[in-house]
Amino acid sequence: MAFLSIRNVFKSYFLHGKRIDVLRGVSLDLERGELVSLIGPSGAGKSTFLHVLGTLDAPAAGEVLFEGRSVFSMNDAQIAEFRNRTIGFVFQSHYLLPEFTALENVAMPALIQRGDRAKTYAQARELLERVGLGARVDHRPGELSGGEAQRVALARALVLKPAILLADEPTGNLDPATGEGIHQLLRDVNRDLGITAVVVTHNETLAQSMPRRLRLAGGQVTDA
Amino acid sequence: MQSAERQTVYRWGLVWSGALVAFGGAVLLGVAVSRSNAWAEVSQALGLSVMGWASLLQSLNALALVPAELSLKQPLPLSGTQYLVAGALAWLGGWGLLAAGLRRAPAPTEGPSPAAGAPLYPRLAGYRDFYWSTLGAYGGGILLAEWALIQLQSLLSSGAQSVAQGEASGGSGLQLAPPWAFAVSLLVACSISFVAGAIGAARARRLSLPEATIGVFYLGLPIPIMLTLLDRVPALQLALGYRLREVTYVAGLLGRPELGYWLVFGLLVLMLVLGINSGFVAAGSGRLDLRLGFELFVARRHVAVFRPSLLLGTLAVLMLGIIPPLIIYGIVRAVEAAVERTRIRELGLVDPLAAAASLNRLKLREQSPTMMMTALSVGGVGVGVMALIIVLSVMSGFELDLQKKILGTHAHAVVSKYAGDLPEYPKLMEQIAKVPGVVGQSPFITNQVMIVSEGNVDGVVIKGIDPDTVGSVTDLPGYMLPGGSLEYLKKPELLTPRRGPGGAGSPMLDDRPAGAAPPAGGQPEEAEEEIDPIIGSMTKPAQEQVLPGIIVGRELAAAMRVVVGDKVNIVSPLGTELGPSGPMPKSRAFRVVGVFYSGMYEYDAKFVYIFLDEAQKFFEVKGANGIDLKVADIDDARRIAADVTRQLGGYPYRSRDWSETNRNLFSALRLEKLVMGIILSIIIIVAAGLIVATVIMLVLEKRKEISVLKALGVPDGGIVKIFLAEGLQIGVAGGLLGLLSGLAWCLFIEKVGIKLDPEVYYIPALPVRIEPVQTLLAVVIAVLVTYLASIYPALKASSVEPVEGLKAE
Ligand SMILES: Nc1ncnc2c1ncn2[C@@H]1O[C@H](COP(=O)(O)OP(=O)(O)OP(=O)(O)O)[C@@H](O)[C@H]1O
Ligand SMILES: [Mg+2]
Repeated sequence: MAFLSIRNVFKSYFLHGKRIDVLRGVSLDLERGELVSLIGPSGAGKSTFLHVLGTLDAPAAGEVLFEGRSVFSMNDAQIAEFRNRTIGFVFQSHYLLPEFTALENVAMPALIQRGDRAKTYAQARELLERVGLGARVDHRPGELSGGEAQRVALARALVLKPAILLADEPTGNLDPATGEGIHQLLRDVNRDLGITAVVVTHNETLAQSMPRRLRLAGGQVTDA
Repeated sequence: MQSAERQTVYRWGLVWSGALVAFGGAVLLGVAVSRSNAWAEVSQALGLSVMGWASLLQSLNALALVPAELSLKQPLPLSGTQYLVAGALAWLGGWGLLAAGLRRAPAPTEGPSPAAGAPLYPRLAGYRDFYWSTLGAYGGGILLAEWALIQLQSLLSSGAQSVAQGEASGGSGLQLAPPWAFAVSLLVACSISFVAGAIGAARARRLSLPEATIGVFYLGLPIPIMLTLLDRVPALQLALGYRLREVTYVAGLLGRPELGYWLVFGLLVLMLVLGINSGFVAAGSGRLDLRLGFELFVARRHVAVFRPSLLLGTLAVLMLGIIPPLIIYGIVRAVEAAVERTRIRELGLVDPLAAAASLNRLKLREQSPTMMMTALSVGGVGVGVMALIIVLSVMSGFELDLQKKILGTHAHAVVSKYAGDLPEYPKLMEQIAKVPGVVGQSPFITNQVMIVSEGNVDGVVIKGIDPDTVGSVTDLPGYMLPGGSLEYLKKPELLTPRRGPGGAGSPMLDDRPAGAAPPAGGQPEEAEEEIDPIIGSMTKPAQEQVLPGIIVGRELAAAMRVVVGDKVNIVSPLGTELGPSGPMPKSRAFRVVGVFYSGMYEYDAKFVYIFLDEAQKFFEVKGANGIDLKVADIDDARRIAADVTRQLGGYPYRSRDWSETNRNLFSALRLEKLVMGIILSIIIIVAAGLIVATVIMLVLEKRKEISVLKALGVPDGGIVKIFLAEGLQIGVAGGLLGLLSGLAWCLFIEKVGIKLDPEVYYIPALPVRIEPVQTLLAVVIAVLVTYLASIYPALKASSVEPVEGLKAE
């Protein structure tokens, strides 16, 4: 039994009476601790696929099984907990909460669990140091650069050490050196914590450097 | 965004006209119900339920009534039937029209679906439109709550009497005063309603508003409708009046029972809504998670209500009005800016970087529109609570004042016979003195007479009193104005005669023949002679004879233009002297020996007092008409009065307490207070509208953040709680500010006083009385209303899908 398996997932959008078939029966198995890159042309449906995988979007049909359990038949509270503990999400844009400081943003998933505040903040601070933002902990998102914000978002996704990390172009607006740093970080957490990671990217060299490469085209996901 | 996926196409023209027609039908049905007198008779003849289980059965009834009416031998005047038929038809037709306006969307024709045959996404597969069990929970819950309220009220307030009659279970049971019984049963009914709402919503895992509407309409409405009709439909009164007597009694305390029924019904529906909301919040997690720490953490970042500047500013506006704080604010800001700028200029010479940063901060202090809305909502709630507290406190002040005055002039309880006099009153008084709780008693004779002075006539209530004991039941001795005394009633000869200009001669002589049986007495006249300094012995003649004394109120004295020492005539129409044409009015002269001022216009203008012995003679009463009592605890007067009756052996004696003798007045006051409360609550409801708008703005503003929070693992219930907390913050802040300013105003009115025009009002200054329960109630209502107001936006917030907000850039 695969760690995470996607079975026959369909997703279409209807707009002005037209149907846009984005995912046409995608099936895929991921093993625990795999590091996977996902490439595909713009508009192919990579983000949509990642959202479905992360239970943020509902497919029209099909199943996502986590350790053999169908995530979409869970109730609201279970899904929320699944998102909170098992999934770490890095969105295409950073999507930090503007009213909170970088530190609070990173600590947010743990705060949602009502974890111990002091311990949580200590962990968050440590993670921020690791992504090179030790000097920016008290900045609000509006007071960070785009690349800094993206790194805060990555720290937020990792704070609870999730089993699965879904990253949608995490290095899209970073300079090559910082981008490489982020990639290194991804490889490190994958290796050290055994986090299964799916990384969407347009960067061919990055994609090539991942142990497993997927391509999304024509509504199908195939190994590239 | 999702519109293309919508399953239903609305034809709004049809939907709206259907709704309108149905509404018209409902109005017609209402008219029919209001004219239900004739209708009730016919339906009774047919054995049909008068309650007419809401509109559906009403329309069936209506259809059945038509042949019934036709078949009757003697046609009854059926003023309601045509309305009933038309209304029912319009009601059904309207719904038909409405239904025609809703249609399923045609399936998209885009070629064969690639997903054909794949298993449907489980949440879609499990979707259901309508939950019968939820409908049962909502409707059954509210019906059960109403039923429990009625049953408990009857059981608790009448004790086990009624039960014992039926089942011979004989126990004394617990018997509560009706208001307490009502409080207990209302509490129980509210909890039933709340729990039912929670269960229903938890069952469906959503709000299920259609179920709630249908449940409340078809199962909740009939009982209040029936209670309202109870007074109007004799048949109903006959069938149910006795069983429901405790319920009608409690509602009757308000003065207008219907208002009571519908208020209680409203409260039960409210509790149902609260229950539904809680059930929904709990449903997602399967348990009610009451922890608020995280949600408050987020909510307080979204709306920072508890900031000193906002709270103080709002308080200032509530206390002083809008203009003065604005002026002060403007001055403070101007001074602050000037100071800040000079500081920055100086700083600029040393450290331009820091100066630029300071300047930036100064500019950035502008407020966001949501902030302004928040402040406005807090102010709105505050104004409502403040107004409610002040007005209710002033009305309580008036009520207390009135009660004081009534109890000052009236006894707490009165003992009398159902018919006849009380010649045995001294013996009764001995017995009454043994009843614990009775602290004073005084016999009296009362009657209605005319008072005549020079050219003035007025009808008054005359009361023969015992000056020695009257002070133990009323405050009359304390009300006496200087110059007169109660003592003179007994010993009128002690009074120093006083003469106004021209009062010495002829008028009194003219009056003299009218005086019946002037008491003989020579010595007092001589005493007068010595004391009178001006007229001396010249006024010795018989017109200065000693007359029995009378005490009048200040207003009456002013109206009759009499002062202490003047003579008045009392004329009783119930004379026993026979004249040529039947009984002749009896007349007798009295001398004013005192003037009292109670502060209550009615008494000061309409009451006169004479000596008990004189009254016995004048009205030919043996003993007394009754005995006035004073009790230790006025709130216990009813029970003590009952004890007194028991002590006297019941019939033919009876005792009534002050609330009974003044019942109309107090129930009118209470009703007025309730109506004022409702009217002022409208301010709070308007403020609640503001809160709805504010929280909706917040939700729209935070759509993206809601999505992110959901993606990070906040469940729907958590999102609901966040926005409820935001609304509640506003409500709590507004409620507390209103409480503070309301109390401050009340204290101001009490300590400093607001003078009233003595020409119009009979009290010198506005009275206030802060009743803790009613004040707290105002705050609780405000908080509750804001809570209710934020439910809808909070639910809207929780229905934002994660991807929805993430894509809305
Ligand atoms: N709500 C929507 N309604 C209609 N069409 C949509 C909606 N959201 C996305 N689409 C369409 O679905 C397709 C897939 O979008 P998606 O965001 O998954 O692409 P992507 O592969 O992530 O592209 P990129 O690399 O540019 O981020 C696009 O063609 C887009 O236009
Ligand atoms: Mg994308």
